[in-house]
Amino acid sequence: MLHHLTVTAQHSPELLERVLRVMRHRGFSVQTMQMNLDSELQQVELQVALESERAIALLTAQLSKLIGVTSVAVSERAVEPKLAVV
Amino acid sequence: MNGAHFVVKALQQQGVKQVFGYPGGAIMPVYDALYDCGVDHLLCRHEQGAAMAAIGYARSTGGVGVCIATSGPGATNLITGLADALLDSVPIVAITGQVASPLIGTDAFQEVDVLGMSLSCTKHSFMVQRAEDLGSVIAQAFEVARSGRPGPVLVDIPKDIQLAAIEHACITHEVSEPNSPELTDITAARELLSQAKKPLLYVGGGVTLAHAEAELRDFLAKTKMPSMTTLKGIGTIAPDQYAFLGMVGMHGTKAANFAVQEADLLVVAGARFDDRVTGKLDEFAVNAKVIHLDIDAAELGKLRKADVAIAADLKQVLPQLAMPLDIDDWQQHTIAMRQEYHWRYDHPGEAIYAPLLLKQLSDMAPKNTVVACDVGQHQMWVAQHIEFDSPRDHLSSSGLGTMGFGVPAAVGAQVARPHDTVIAVSGDGSFMMNVQELGTIKRRKLPVKILLIDNQRLGMVRQWQQLFFEGRYSETILTDNPDFVALAAAFDIPGETIVVKEQVQPALERMLNSKGAYILHVAISEEENVWPLVPPGAANDKMMEEC
Ligand SMILES: Cc1ncc(C[n+]2csc(CCOP(=O)(O)OP(=O)(O)O)c2C)c(N)n1
Ligand SMILES: [Mg+2]
Repeated sequence: MLHHLTVTAQHSPELLERVLRVMRHRGFSVQTMQMNLDSELQQVELQVALESERAIALLTAQLSKLIGVTSVAVSERAVEPKLAVV
Repeated sequence: MNGAHFVVKALQQQGVKQVFGYPGGAIMPVYDALYDCGVDHLLCRHEQGAAMAAIGYARSTGGVGVCIATSGPGATNLITGLADALLDSVPIVAITGQVASPLIGTDAFQEVDVLGMSLSCTKHSFMVQRAEDLGSVIAQAFEVARSGRPGPVLVDIPKDIQLAAIEHACITHEVSEPNSPELTDITAARELLSQAKKPLLYVGGGVTLAHAEAELRDFLAKTKMPSMTTLKGIGTIAPDQYAFLGMVGMHGTKAANFAVQEADLLVVAGARFDDRVTGKLDEFAVNAKVIHLDIDAAELGKLRKADVAIAADLKQVLPQLAMPLDIDDWQQHTIAMRQEYHWRYDHPGEAIYAPLLLKQLSDMAPKNTVVACDVGQHQMWVAQHIEFDSPRDHLSSSGLGTMGFGVPAAVGAQVARPHDTVIAVSGDGSFMMNVQELGTIKRRKLPVKILLIDNQRLGMVRQWQQLFFEGRYSETILTDNPDFVALAAAFDIPGETIVVKEQVQPALERMLNSKGAYILHVAISEEENVWPLVPPGAANDKMMEEC
């Protein structure tokens, strides 16, 4: 099943690895992904479509625990990024 | 002041008096700062030993343990310890040296991407990029390690940052408060409690991590609910508590494993439905509704759906659920099971019977004795046959099941609790995995007692080969073990070997009365197995027993 997630986080060099590692390890496979950084290079917004048989709540609970992640939202279909591409 | 001095100062600000570690090129400035700063550093003889000593220190006190290593091989050697701390939610802070910033990414000497490696075995990790961030990073590392669900945090510090001059940076970090339970959830949980006819409390290590032992005991006093624990929960409930059924799961008691299948409500406090606890998950406690209490919201509904799930501090939640229950018949029924299925120690022949030996040790050991186990059959016998008054006295690598844990964890506990008796119960296989830590015991003249249960086998694996692999004993026969007493003697640790039952009592006395370290090497039959056993893939009430 395809799930659409928007993750926002404080930027750090390894943030993307951290988030992607959890997605893979918890059984979700990334289908499409877009990452945007705000103009002050502080905030990251990630739009990800993930395929998995597992319930998406299992992943959002794990992602929300990551230090630096500020929000995790699930949507029915892909949403427009809020941060403009720099 | 340079960055390294500042690191040590930041540790002192966190109240750190003891660290464990091993020096090397990229961490030399920190070792220079440690040389005369007043923080006590204990040199372990392998970085894995240092990490596990930090775990033993943290688990036996409830504080944060600290370990230090150099870059490259020093950091890779820490990894097993970090993974152990992650799976058992132990607050430790690991500090590693890194090659100088300009060299990162050039495959420099002893350069490993430690931050990358840490992602899957820490709760969080940092690489310090500017000297002025050192203070806030270290403060944050301690805060992350001990808050919410505790865990290991790694701070990787490039050498140039350790050497950079620092004027004065403040060491502060904001502390976040844990969630308070929602009133509607509390009401729903109380409703389930009042309806239940056969409620059962399932206690994990989280109760102790939340420092909520008193609240839990109070909850039991009010509800008189039958109870059981996980491996990490052992000691949280007093052994003589009314209707306490012991450990649940693969090598749990028959009383706990039968009761859980009969229960109509499970109150899960700081536990996580680990597969060693549940056996076949979809046949675990099938008749029960679930109230799941844990500070880590990601555990709620992860493996078993909860009817009421409360993500909050157990210290706050438990008192709100403590209420008298009307469950007389169920109490009597579980107490009868506890009596019917109590452990038996009659055992034919001269050979030493490890469960009986551990029961004798349990009866003889002074109050507040810490037992640090290794991994295997002997670990399960400790869990079954030694009675603990506090979970801080039972150090057992539970989630990761790390052979080699026992001796270094005992080192950490003995340093933390110098006036208490500390016993490492090890197996002949596990002992060899961190045997170099005998050097640490010698160095600090620690009075650690080692009880080495020697079946000349990788016993737990041998047991599975016997039961599930047609007796094909592939690489589990250790008849070529070294002379363990002579090996210990090389580290100035005296000891003896015993082989028959009647030697047990006086030998345990000698061990317990020895002023310094001691090794009691106990030869047992390789054929002794751990019972009962829930075989892989079976429900908990389908236990195998000795035929
Ligand atoms: C580091 C590590 N490697 C392998 C294992 C798998 N393992 C689990 S128990 C065990 C045997 C342990 O032997 P020993 O320490 O002699 O204990 P016994 O079971 O004989 O009491 C092994 C190999 C493990 N748990 N940890
Ligand atoms: Mg053995």
